[in-house]
Amino acid sequence: MTWTPLVALATLLVVAPLLPGVATKTRALLTGRRGPPVLQLYWDLGKLLRKGAVYSTTTTWVFRLAPVVVVATALLAASVVPLDGRSALVSFTGDLVAFAYLLALGRFMLVLGGLDTGSSFEGMGASREVTFSSFAEPALFLCFAGLTLATRGLSLTGMLGSPLAAAWPAAAPSLAMIGVSLFLVLLAEASRVPVDDPATHLELTMIHEVIVLDHSGPDFALILYASALKLALFGALLVGVLVPRARLPGPAAIAVLVLGLVVVAVLVGIVESSMARLRLSRVPQFLIAASVLASLGVILLLMT
Amino acid sequence: MTLFFLGIALILAGGLAAALLRRRPALADRAFGVLVAGGCALGLVPAVAALAGRDVAEISFAMAMPGGPWAFGIDGLSAFFLLIVFGVGLASAIYGLAYLAVERRGGHRPVATSHLLMAVVLAALVLVVTSRAVVPFLMAWESMAVLAYFLVVFESEKADVRRAGLVYLIATHTGTLALFAMFAFWGRFAETLSFDALAAGAASLPAGGALVLCLALVGFGLKAGLVPLHFWLPEAHASAPSHVSALMSGVVIKMGIYGLLRVVSLLGAPPAWWGWLVLIVGVLSGVLGVVWALAQHDLKRLLAYHSVENIGIILLGLGVGALGMSYHLPVVAALGFAGAILHTLNHALFKSLLFLGAGAVYRATGTRAIDRLGGLARRMPLTWVAFLVGSVAIVGLPPLNGFVSEWVVYQALLRSGAAEQGGPLRLAVLGVAGLALIGALALACFAKVDGIVFLGTSRSAEAAQAREVGKAMLGPMFALALACGAIGLAPVLVVHPAVSAGALIAGLPPDAIGAAGGEVLRAMAWIAFLSLALIVLLALGWRAWAALRRRRPPVPAETWGCGYAEPTPRMQYTASSFATPLLASFGSVAGVHESRHGGAFETHASELVLDNVALPLWSVVQGLAARLRPIQQGRLWIYLVYLMAALLLLLLYLATSGGTTSP
Repeated sequence: MTWTPLVALATLLVVAPLLPGVATKTRALLTGRRGPPVLQLYWDLGKLLRKGAVYSTTTTWVFRLAPVVVVATALLAASVVPLDGRSALVSFTGDLVAFAYLLALGRFMLVLGGLDTGSSFEGMGASREVTFSSFAEPALFLCFAGLTLATRGLSLTGMLGSPLAAAWPAAAPSLAMIGVSLFLVLLAEASRVPVDDPATHLELTMIHEVIVLDHSGPDFALILYASALKLALFGALLVGVLVPRARLPGPAAIAVLVLGLVVVAVLVGIVESSMARLRLSRVPQFLIAASVLASLGVILLLMT
Repeated sequence: MTLFFLGIALILAGGLAAALLRRRPALADRAFGVLVAGGCALGLVPAVAALAGRDVAEISFAMAMPGGPWAFGIDGLSAFFLLIVFGVGLASAIYGLAYLAVERRGGHRPVATSHLLMAVVLAALVLVVTSRAVVPFLMAWESMAVLAYFLVVFESEKADVRRAGLVYLIATHTGTLALFAMFAFWGRFAETLSFDALAAGAASLPAGGALVLCLALVGFGLKAGLVPLHFWLPEAHASAPSHVSALMSGVVIKMGIYGLLRVVSLLGAPPAWWGWLVLIVGVLSGVLGVVWALAQHDLKRLLAYHSVENIGIILLGLGVGALGMSYHLPVVAALGFAGAILHTLNHALFKSLLFLGAGAVYRATGTRAIDRLGGLARRMPLTWVAFLVGSVAIVGLPPLNGFVSEWVVYQALLRSGAAEQGGPLRLAVLGVAGLALIGALALACFAKVDGIVFLGTSRSAEAAQAREVGKAMLGPMFALALACGAIGLAPVLVVHPAVSAGALIAGLPPDAIGAAGGEVLRAMAWIAFLSLALIVLLALGWRAWAALRRRRPPVPAETWGCGYAEPTPRMQYTASSFATPLLASFGSVAGVHESRHGGAFETHASELVLDNVALPLWSVVQGLAARLRPIQQGRLWIYLVYLMAALLLLLLYLATSGGTTSP
């Protein structure tokens, strides 16, 4: 039992709110603005936690439970990811299914929480969220399938741990495609441009923001934190695929993870400043492209 | 086996009691409930013993009939299905007592007969999964299929119910015809028509049993409702009384799955193309089933389409298991079949739970139209909790049972990709994308159902005045919900016997999968740990948040409407608008018709296969059948002549073939 997985998880939980800040800052700098401070989300969370909540009279316990579920599932999903590039806190064969389905449980409750308000806005957001995630999920699993083929691993630890470095030289083209596909999935799962725009101010064009329109105070803080954590989780997967760290000593591996996450956030910011959000009806095509890319990677691996 | 037959006798006695005591409904209901519950409990004893790995003796009756003795037995595979029949059957039967009690007041519908039929169908189902010879199997099969028809057309004064029943009857008979053909052909290569003899004769079947496998896929596939043979299913399941829908969706269609598994276990390794075919049909059924479900506006039709979806998931497991046999990978074979069996059990539990929940909604509001409901979470809090449990389970999310079986299917698919000597089997790993898509779409669909039916505010006066249903209806629902939770929290209890049964189907000894079996069981322990951790985290989080709320009491307000302060229920999102973006991405496959007139916008779901294939095909058959009409003269003596002629032909056949074909 080494402490690195636990330290890595704690680090991830602490740095997660930094990433949206980095992305926003990058976007601001690239578009010639100064932008909010990088640590803005930490201040926001602190402020929201000190506030009281406003509950719509339409809502039931579902609305109140949803934020707790979203954070709890994201936390547990984080426990199966080998954050230090070697082994996860919890690892078993098929844990990748638990990873995806725990996050799905969070999404399900978030959507139900939104629908609990009986508002058209939330209904709209909920509908979009489930639509787009339906196309993101196959892409994610195709990435996992590719990793299984490349490393023969059946758990995230088996895929992203030591066998990955050995697989890279032979499977580089496939793994690169899987990396790109994962990045596209990350943009969708973390509600970033070109799928969703966290900076939009019109309810009609929102996705994630509009589901949580009626959440306030500590509940909203939980949701903001969970969505930052989700960005960090997919970022960690991406860093795990692209930068095998099994040979590095623990602290160095964690430092590389943090650095990698910041780079991912900067990339997200660059994407956001260089393109507009897609039309909603185009988003499925964008995500199918991610699936196609991952399938291509899988097929290349099957041919060898 | 004695206990088992005693159980069947008790169930039948319960049915008879309900019919004979019809003048004294209270007594009849109690007798029915006690006898059926006792019968199911007795029957479960040998089933659980078989699951625990103990051998249950076969029993055999010598019959003076062609086809050999009638044998009955319980192995690991039968035991799983017995669990389903007894468990879900009991819940449906008990729920049915309260559900139909209202009908007695009207007095024109055959309540007592319906209970009797329920008991007989249960007995027939039990015999289907324990028969070890063709003749009793087909007799039980046909009784089940035909009696289920009478259960479905309970509300026979409605034209659409009669039509649904007729389509079901035609479909199930076509399926039985295929089964007759299959067993007749197979029997030519066997000593007798017992299952053991069929297994012994399987090696001499031409082309690796290609014809048998195809006929099985059609015959059993029609019962299971795989795409495109599902066309009868949604309407029949929606039109039946809710507890019958629960039995049909939860148990009866699973007999198709049982049949397929049994055929594979008797036949030995099928040719690889069959496994691929089943795998592809599975993905197709899964994806199309859930897409069509999304398009529905009727709560029960929607649930019925989800049965098509879940049959798809089961077939995914069955297909990959068959492929594992074809390519000689015991681990993949055992896990694939285990996934199929386990998902069959789980689907039986949560789908019957959902149908019973839909029945409660129907009894409370008098409507099944999703867009007329809303806000029921406040009006029917207990039904809502049970329905939510069923929803989370059917979407396959932790910490409930659906996750466990989908995990096993994923495991089989991933292991086929990771196999060193996988060869072409490694392609099957692409199936994970199909399963992921099915899961995500199911999430979308149940977000719609739960959100529109139970959350928000009531969209009609019926929904606004709904009252919670009674304990007699809530009891069976919560029993099923508890079973879903128990399997989710202690998955090893069912996964271990499922893997053994999977190995049995694949013709392997129970320990053939070696180290992989240990890994799977260890994973089950971790899944149980994660589920528990989730529940603990939620409880802690909920308490912490409640404390926070006490410190700073929340402010009540209207839902945010951009400053508009007079919201009406009509401003809420509808089921139709919720599903439209997803359905639009699937284009014409979704079969949705949109109509716009004035300011109104409507969507309608069409039955693609029924309207475009099955019904045109049926009118061709009808046209051909009309040519046969001259033989029907309506005079008794003509029919007597037909009978005599048939007997003479039979004698002639016996005389020329030189006696019976079997000892």
